Amino acid sequence: MSDEELAKDLGPLAALTIGVGTMIGAGIFVLPGPAVLQAGPLAAAAFVLGGAIALLTALSASELGTAMPKSGGAYYYVNHALGPLFGSIAGWGNWMGLAFASAFYMAGFGQYVTTFLAVPTLDLGVATISGVKIVALAGAGLFVFVNYVGAKETGKLQNYIVVTLVAILAVFTAFGAMNADLSSLRPIVPPDKGISPLLPVTGLVFVSYLGFVQITSVAEEIQEPGKNLPRAVIGSVLIVTTVYALVLVTVLAAVPNEVVAGNDTAVVDVARMLIGPIGAAAMLFGGLLATASSANASILASSRINFAMGRDRIVSEDLNEIHPRFGTPYRSIAITGGFIFAFILLADVETLATAGSVLHLIIYGLLNLALIVMRTADPEEYQPDYTVPLYPFTPIVGLLTSFALIYFFAVDIILLAVGFTVFSMLWYLGYARSRTTKQGILGQYILSRSEKMPEAAVSAATSVQPDGGQYRVMVPLANPANETDLITLASALAKERNGTVVAVHIEQVPDQTALESARERGDFAEAHELLERARDDAETFGAPIETHTILSHRSFEEIFDAARTYDADITVMGWGPDSHGAPGRAESAIDELASSLPCDFLVLKDRGFDASEILVPTAGGPDSELSAAVAATLREQYGSTVRLLHVTDDQEEGERFLSEWADEHGLSEAELLVDETADVEGSIERHAEDASMLIIGATERGLLSRLVRGTLVLDVVEDVSCSVLLAERKRKRSLRERLFGRN
Amino acid sequence: MDDLVDDASESLFARPLVPVAGEDDARATAAAVLPRVAAVGGRPVFVHVIEKAGGAPDKAPLEQREELAEELFAAVRRAGEDAGVTVETDLRYGTDVADAIIDAAHEFDATCIAFTPRGGSRWWDLFSGDTRDALVTESDLPVVALPDASEEGESS
Repeated sequence: MSDEELAKDLGPLAALTIGVGTMIGAGIFVLPGPAVLQAGPLAAAAFVLGGAIALLTALSASELGTAMPKSGGAYYYVNHALGPLFGSIAGWGNWMGLAFASAFYMAGFGQYVTTFLAVPTLDLGVATISGVKIVALAGAGLFVFVNYVGAKETGKLQNYIVVTLVAILAVFTAFGAMNADLSSLRPIVPPDKGISPLLPVTGLVFVSYLGFVQITSVAEEIQEPGKNLPRAVIGSVLIVTTVYALVLVTVLAAVPNEVVAGNDTAVVDVARMLIGPIGAAAMLFGGLLATASSANASILASSRINFAMGRDRIVSEDLNEIHPRFGTPYRSIAITGGFIFAFILLADVETLATAGSVLHLIIYGLLNLALIVMRTADPEEYQPDYTVPLYPFTPIVGLLTSFALIYFFAVDIILLAVGFTVFSMLWYLGYARSRTTKQGILGQYILSRSEKMPEAAVSAATSVQPDGGQYRVMVPLANPANETDLITLASALAKERNGTVVAVHIEQVPDQTALESARERGDFAEAHELLERARDDAETFGAPIETHTILSHRSFEEIFDAARTYDADITVMGWGPDSHGAPGRAESAIDELASSLPCDFLVLKDRGFDASEILVPTAGGPDSELSAAVAATLREQYGSTVRLLHVTDDQEEGERFLSEWADEHGLSEAELLVDETADVEGSIERHAEDASMLIIGATERGLLSRLVRGTLVLDVVEDVSCSVLLAERKRKRSLRERLFGRN
Repeated sequence: MDDLVDDASESLFARPLVPVAGEDDARATAAAVLPRVAAVGGRPVFVHVIEKAGGAPDKAPLEQREELAEELFAAVRRAGEDAGVTVETDLRYGTDVADAIIDAAHEFDATCIAFTPRGGSRWWDLFSGDTRDALVTESDLPVVALPDASEEGESS
């Protein structure tokens, strides 16, 4: 056997049993009692409706799974397609949803055990723990332990359990059918309540349909996922729905509704009536197996979600450390276990079931949305082997029904879902955003077409972009002559802050040529050469570098887009006749762009890179802060001599200002020059004669826009003989400025 | 063959197969094995086995363990460079770790299987499986258990 075959050892049947085994437990062994109590024979319809909603999402999950057979399943697809904000919601939702579901399975396990074993209620004085909960806690402890030490026998056991369960249920259904009396199914709709309980009960029993998505979380281990994954995912939903419907219909037809309604272990009592004590024992055994296998599979699946979240830095990677002896992600399993214990203690069976359901419904809705985004954005690497039938109808209905069903849950469960979503978003903004680097397809899609998209969408996509907490120095390269100098400067900035240089080459394509065709037949040898040289240069300075080529009809404006897309903290660009073509837009559009800089900008008027003698004129303000920071960096990297210049009409006050300013900006060792004159430019020019580099903060707003329009009145830049760096800081426009334009 | 025998191929450490389980284990094992291999000019093969459930989901994500394997092989290669030994690495998959190691040893014509035993209570072997014991009893090649180099230093 090849390594590939050994590594991917889940065959079609094994994959199917993961889904069936996770799902088949809860629905039929725990929920008929409460479901029939609320909805009478209509409960059977609720199971079918739940199965239908699950099936729609199963179709979407299958397509996404064959395109991306990766560990983490649903979380991975949502994070990949919709970005880490939604990824946080899906990841936490899937994790906690599985913990709630596991707690529910264990509570069901407790109900089964206590039918034959009297477990006393534990009185702790402040609170009591029922016998059911004590067994549930013990059961949860057992399955957490089994997964913690990675006992490998349990995995294969699952296959036998599933076969046994299906056999038990088949025999049970056959006996039921022989005793069926269709009249006890009537009235199907409870006369006192009407059809209104249908959807709330569907929400309750939906916890029976969580398992299929766990198949996708081990997609990387499945043989020929393109073929076997859809079969397992869709097949398991169909099988389970059929089993549920058959069992429930025959139960309700064979015995009076009262036997089932509100009965925790209804199927056991029904089996006793229909088959006798052996039937009851078999169903009891089945209930224990079913709840145990569901919980065991769910605990295992949650560690896959944790791994995928940790890899994307949504949670700490420490969570997924592998135990040196057991080879298991022991921390993840232990923490999941802690959540399961807490949920068992805090909530009753119905709350656990509905909480597990509602969190999964959020994920299922997002999963359908993820599919629509992937189809719309259609990135090159998206090549699913299986495609959803009747697109876009199927995922849209899947999306709507998943979210709509949430409405029919109890108010406190809806609040839990909302609170949970808010928590996940805050988690992203407060924790994950500064760590994760992965941008969603949706965000890339919107930002790459920012001119065609509604501005609200662009600004929303921009404002939630992950920044990975890394300092990124973007260098748009156009002119080979100043490439080395720009990269040198960028490398110094990146190295000082443990950051990365992002070299981009913007290839201008004539308006007449479509970007697609340019990409196909383009000759990028020149661009490659330029980027390769940039790579070599950056590596010489020991700065990490990534390179990108962008095709665009516009050149100058593309820099702003690229700075957003590549999440730059600062852009270092050259300025000169060859540097970045004339703006292709009306001047007002350039003003609009340049008035909300996506990051800090350094514009180099290159007359040779020599950082030995740096002159920084300042009058205070945010832009000269940036020049101070750049000067400090260059001093650190090149041992430059820094001189600060302040031009004023009051010598004494000027000296005080400048020495304070130098202290504040970590330049207290710099030489301080205070000139008492009204001729600012003349003073700068005079002092620049001794300097090798002049760093000027943009004293006025919109330096960049005036730069490109050629209306910059700072003659000094042309008059001095050294290199000049113009610094302009990123700024946020106020709401008023956004609405009414500047001024 | 006899007339071609030289010192290196005669030695037990001419072509040792060295199973490593984790990054710490890899470091400790490399420190124990590489000086002995270097002394005879041997060419060691370090092997890591990803334990498969064989038809059921694994106990840890496959991608994660493949990443870990890359990391531990990198650590081994660095140790090899420091010791002046050319190190080969091989990643394997198997439901029985000991069997996979022994198979690998035959494929590489290994002169021995060398490892440093990891400590820990025997009781846990009930759950994690006793690869050490299985190697010693099942292998038809010499099995060399080397003391952990760092502990060796401490005790002397």
